[in-house]
Amino acid sequence: MIVKHVWLKRTVQSTVLVYFLLLIVVPILGVYVQGLSEGWTKFADSVIQPIAWDAVLRTLQLAVIATLINTVFGTLIAWVLVRYRFPGRRILNSLVDLPFALPTAVGGLMILLLLGPQSWLGSFAKSHNIEIVYQQPAIVIAMIFVTFPFVIRTIQPLLEELDPAEEEASYTLGASRSGTFWKVIFPAMRPGVIGGAMLAFSRALAEFGAVVLVAGNIPGKTLVASVQIYGNVESYNPTGAAAVSVVLLTLSFLVLWSVNLLTARRDER
Amino acid sequence: MKKWLAGVLIASITVLPACGSNTETASTTTTGTKEEPKEVTLVLGAYSVPQEAFKKILPAFQKQWKDKTGQTVNFQESYEASGTQARAIAGGFEADVAVLSLEADIDTIQKAGLITNDWRTKPHNGMITNSVVAFGTREGNPKGIQDWEDLAKPGIGVLYPNPKTSGGAQWDVNGIYGAGLKISEEKGKKDPAYAADLLKRIQKNVKALDKSGRASMTTFENGTGDVVVTYENELIGRNLEGQKYNIIVPNYTILIENPAAVVDKNADKHGVRQVADAFVDYLWTADAQRAFSEKGFRAVDPAVAKEFEKQYKTPAGLYDIKYLGGWTQVRKDLYQDGALWDQILAGK
Repeated sequence: MIVKHVWLKRTVQSTVLVYFLLLIVVPILGVYVQGLSEGWTKFADSVIQPIAWDAVLRTLQLAVIATLINTVFGTLIAWVLVRYRFPGRRILNSLVDLPFALPTAVGGLMILLLLGPQSWLGSFAKSHNIEIVYQQPAIVIAMIFVTFPFVIRTIQPLLEELDPAEEEASYTLGASRSGTFWKVIFPAMRPGVIGGAMLAFSRALAEFGAVVLVAGNIPGKTLVASVQIYGNVESYNPTGAAAVSVVLLTLSFLVLWSVNLLTARRDER
Repeated sequence: MKKWLAGVLIASITVLPACGSNTETASTTTTGTKEEPKEVTLVLGAYSVPQEAFKKILPAFQKQWKDKTGQTVNFQESYEASGTQARAIAGGFEADVAVLSLEADIDTIQKAGLITNDWRTKPHNGMITNSVVAFGTREGNPKGIQDWEDLAKPGIGVLYPNPKTSGGAQWDVNGIYGAGLKISEEKGKKDPAYAADLLKRIQKNVKALDKSGRASMTTFENGTGDVVVTYENELIGRNLEGQKYNIIVPNYTILIENPAAVVDKNADKHGVRQVADAFVDYLWTADAQRAFSEKGFRAVDPAVAKEFEKQYKTPAGLYDIKYLGGWTQVRKDLYQDGALWDQILAGK
């Protein structure tokens, strides 16, 4: 019986391992191999050539902005959805995940239609000399849209699990509202805030479908890394495409790894 | 539990490849028998623009083939951006016939060893349709755009797709570059520096470099930009659908030539060689040429071209890809890594 059990465990383990290898590890390793296939100099050339490098930097910049905005509003929204009771709360709560369910190109299209020059908002902005679509603001909006659920969904369970007794104890001991928030509630939320923000960041780095529609994609101005990579794929330059991907992948990996470390450390405490 | 898992694994291993080889086994049986099968399936890999015209051409060919041989032809159609389609076919999408936007994309398939016939010896050098690079402006041309230099004026919003992502967009950029050469030639000598400068100044006015010609047209339709540089047939097609763009053909512009070819390896493998050949030949018949013309293309057939003469303006300064030295040269001069296009974008 025990032997059987061990066999079952091994089978499941190796199936999972093979699955993981085939679907995740091999394709990603492939990107690294392809990116470095023509040597370090070619790799460096592909990455530091002005258009590619500029695209990577711009992507980082805009992804940071989108992440910050999402972190602030995501935290607020999670707070409101957990703590307050109001009509329509459940519906709002289920709407949060919708950006995940939508092809991102459709998200981009909606941004174009709502903020484009023919729309009410777009023409209003234009009359005040603000250009949104085909400029950087549109890229940030697209990134916010596709990464919207991350922060909210990582904070929500933490807030829900927070024992009301802890808060009550804090008040009973004479702590102020803000004192309680920063000393009791926020520490409980923190892993969610950080984890959600990091996930949102790495997703924003790689966003393509929505961004390509709204960005204008002009090198040196509005070209982000994912679109630059697509350009290389389309113009038969797989090594160049893979090289920039290697940079994005490595960044994302570092980000996700550090999230893992952070949350692991908290679990140990 | 373990058996169940193993069962799933085995099932997935055996079923998955079987899906892929289905078509293969079916086609070997059709080639194996002497008698012609009642039905054949022709896989058409095309770029997206001629789709409208094919809606008329495919049924007409089906009817003609049926009358002639009694065989029913089914079409499997795939429409993608030309470069994407070429790469898909070269990478294993088993199209029997390729209809693409530019010669260079057929070359891609040829280099993959899938086209073995000398397709350029076909009528009209293997080209099935023509068009020219033209400007589309808002109704009534409010900014008074007439020629290439107007596109470089301050305050003009220009649209064309990115030639790195859209093979078809290379026609547009070739159009600008070639016009620059022609203009300088008119003034004395053919000057690549002037052409590069013209392209650079126009590029400064570009509002969005979309990923394909279609996307660029959509951006224009949504209200961005004053002028879109694109294929004349695309603009005529839009106007036929109710838009009211002004179509301007500048004096110096490039003749666009779109090829079609049988993908030999696939056609032979599927045993549809005869019908594939017949289909490509059919594209040069007056009926097919007329169908293309109705959607805004210029016919390669001189008689049909004459019928639709009024639809177009053919400028005296029209030139073709040979003026730029052919596609290989153009790719080297303009689009290769670090070539002119990259230099312009990098702001050098």
